[in-house]
Amino acid sequence: MSSLAAVLAQAAPGLTAGPAAAAPTPTITVPDIEWTALLPILVLGLGAVLLLTLTSLARGTVTRSGYAIYTVLVATGAMATAAPLWGRVHAWDHLGKWELSPPYGPFSAVAGAIGVDGFSVFITLLIGVAVILGALLADDYLRREGIDGPEYYVLLLLSATGGVIMAMANDLIVLFLGLETLSIAVYVLAAIHLKRVQSQEAGLKYFVLGGFSSAFFLYGVAMVYGATGSTNLVQIKDLLAVKVPTHNALLLIGLGLMLVGLGFKVAAVPFHSWSPDVYDGAPSPVAAFMASGVKAAGFAGLTRAFLLGFGQFASDWQPVLYFLAAASMLVGAIVGITQTNVKRALAYSSINHAGFMLMALQAASPKGVTGLLFYLATYTFMTVGSFGIATLAGRTGDGHHDLADYRGFSRTNPALAGLFVLFLLGQSGFPLTSGFVAKFGSIAAAVDAGSWHLAVIGMVSAAISAFIYLRIIVAMYMAESDTEAAEKAPKAARIKVPFGAGLALVACALATIGFGILPNGLNRVAGEAEPVLVKEPVPAAASGADGAGLTGLDLTTIPTTPTTR
Amino acid sequence: MLAVDTPQYLPENIFFGIIAFIMVVSALRVVTTRNVVHAALWLILVLAGVAGNFILLGNEFVAVTQVLVYIGAIVVLFLFGVMLTRAPIGADAHLDNDQRPLALVVALPLLALMGYVLWDAWKDTKITEAGPPIVASTSVLSDSIFKTYLIPFEAASVLLLAALIGAIVLARRD
Repeated sequence: MSSLAAVLAQAAPGLTAGPAAAAPTPTITVPDIEWTALLPILVLGLGAVLLLTLTSLARGTVTRSGYAIYTVLVATGAMATAAPLWGRVHAWDHLGKWELSPPYGPFSAVAGAIGVDGFSVFITLLIGVAVILGALLADDYLRREGIDGPEYYVLLLLSATGGVIMAMANDLIVLFLGLETLSIAVYVLAAIHLKRVQSQEAGLKYFVLGGFSSAFFLYGVAMVYGATGSTNLVQIKDLLAVKVPTHNALLLIGLGLMLVGLGFKVAAVPFHSWSPDVYDGAPSPVAAFMASGVKAAGFAGLTRAFLLGFGQFASDWQPVLYFLAAASMLVGAIVGITQTNVKRALAYSSINHAGFMLMALQAASPKGVTGLLFYLATYTFMTVGSFGIATLAGRTGDGHHDLADYRGFSRTNPALAGLFVLFLLGQSGFPLTSGFVAKFGSIAAAVDAGSWHLAVIGMVSAAISAFIYLRIIVAMYMAESDTEAAEKAPKAARIKVPFGAGLALVACALATIGFGILPNGLNRVAGEAEPVLVKEPVPAAASGADGAGLTGLDLTTIPTTPTTR
Repeated sequence: MLAVDTPQYLPENIFFGIIAFIMVVSALRVVTTRNVVHAALWLILVLAGVAGNFILLGNEFVAVTQVLVYIGAIVVLFLFGVMLTRAPIGADAHLDNDQRPLALVVALPLLALMGYVLWDAWKDTKITEAGPPIVASTSVLSDSIFKTYLIPFEAASVLLLAALIGAIVLARRD
């Protein structure tokens, strides 16, 4: 039968002469769905949809701060569902009174598309923290600007959903879809201040450039698929372990294009030019989320794709990351000191930080991953704190971000100025703040991997970037205020700190000091959060499996004997 | 090149010839017509021809997708764009500009490259028997969507939801 006839037969059996055989009802065996692994994603995604539905049904009856409280609860719920996963990954059979079900140890789920390991759980928790802080900062901000409503929170939750999908992706297609979900929601968030032209401009700029970068990433995925025949990271890794691909150039081009796409998301030089404009134009709480949550998800994508999937090709991508790290650290620091706008200066400082995190990643070692995670965790609190101060200091209209606007800030708002000093010193890597330990870990990882020059560049850039922060501190403490009225009656210019933002700022400050003085706990957790690629079906680790199914980096030996906590 | 010369494929060959002729003529009209709307309508014929060729190849799913996405969405988008930006629609003398040599520089090497790739891949291979189909059928596709690519399939719907909500947030006025 010719193919045309075959189609006709399929479309309308009556048309063809042959008797339409009573075909058995086709069945599709759906892969096992490990619901517990998907719970963090489901809670965030359904939380967003539920918020949208409920508020459209009960418009106008939502209590003050209701949206923010709801968002905080959803994010907390997502983090709570991630906690048992952490226990299972580390082969605990109990979490408190709660018995954890096997499989123990890192596993992948739903046809190998989702990978659950310490790394993905850590990033999930981090994104949850970013959502909570973002919601707390936004609560009063949105009311102040007259744009209160559920939209911000819905998009924040959807964006976090995308971020968690990225963190758990074991497949390049899943990674891409997570990246896009994250990005599209954040494009809109950047433009959500509909009354401010700069916000609209920031959204459009981010959207156009971000669309380009996503296309680069997707093109890279297509190239990798062409070279390896799979988009699944486990399969790619297995394939590369047994044979060298014949189309090596195709694979390398693919890796390069993927690096462009992800480099854009983490704002690494030379893909950074969007970030000062967008951070400056976007509403300050959104900038805080972009600098924390989006960056964490971007680095999760980089780690999963490059360190896990293409670990064997480390010698090919390490030099590129080396260059990106050096360029980001230097450009971020040097251009940052010329900025006269505080939000732009913070944007350049975040580029500088991205360089430090890339430096930890390019080490391609367990120590590097630990350094990266520690850096991400501490940096989240410091940068959200800084943008939180900017949120309050921006005043109605979100427009007072010039260095001149911060003159005399210490006299009008001593508490806020003190907190800002803490966050800025933390970002500069001042001892006894978390930033110092983070920078130290990153530099130590680079030195261990033999990247001496990069470590020196990092230290030099840290010294240069200190000037960015000192400039803001000097403006706050040593310069006279512009307006005489504010000088004479400092209390009149005092900013009333709303409860939500205050809570977020205090939490950020406690984390910055706490992890600076006692970094061991976080460091240990970051060290236990190793990324691993595991094949499906899940190895029965409960019966003391030897981890034969592990195809990961072999960063450290995975504890396989169940330990009770 | 992929000539199918067994008698049982004769209907396909005839239909392919007809569709190919229509497509080439329509494609030429797309770039020579003086009316933008007509150009978009000619484009529909070209795209419908592609869908027809997919049916000839026995891949009804891609054919339907071609109709839904390209004709149903993209051309309609073109027409909306034309309607919203050029209020008086009619014959326009300024559709063409003096970039023809430049376009030729781009188009000819592209044609040569694609022709070479096709020739290089197939040489004078002939399909003689009704062997296993070259393209996957709809059932194979649906199987892989609900097996291997279950998570991407669901994640794509979340992505579309995010885009939908985002578009409404930006577009609404109140």
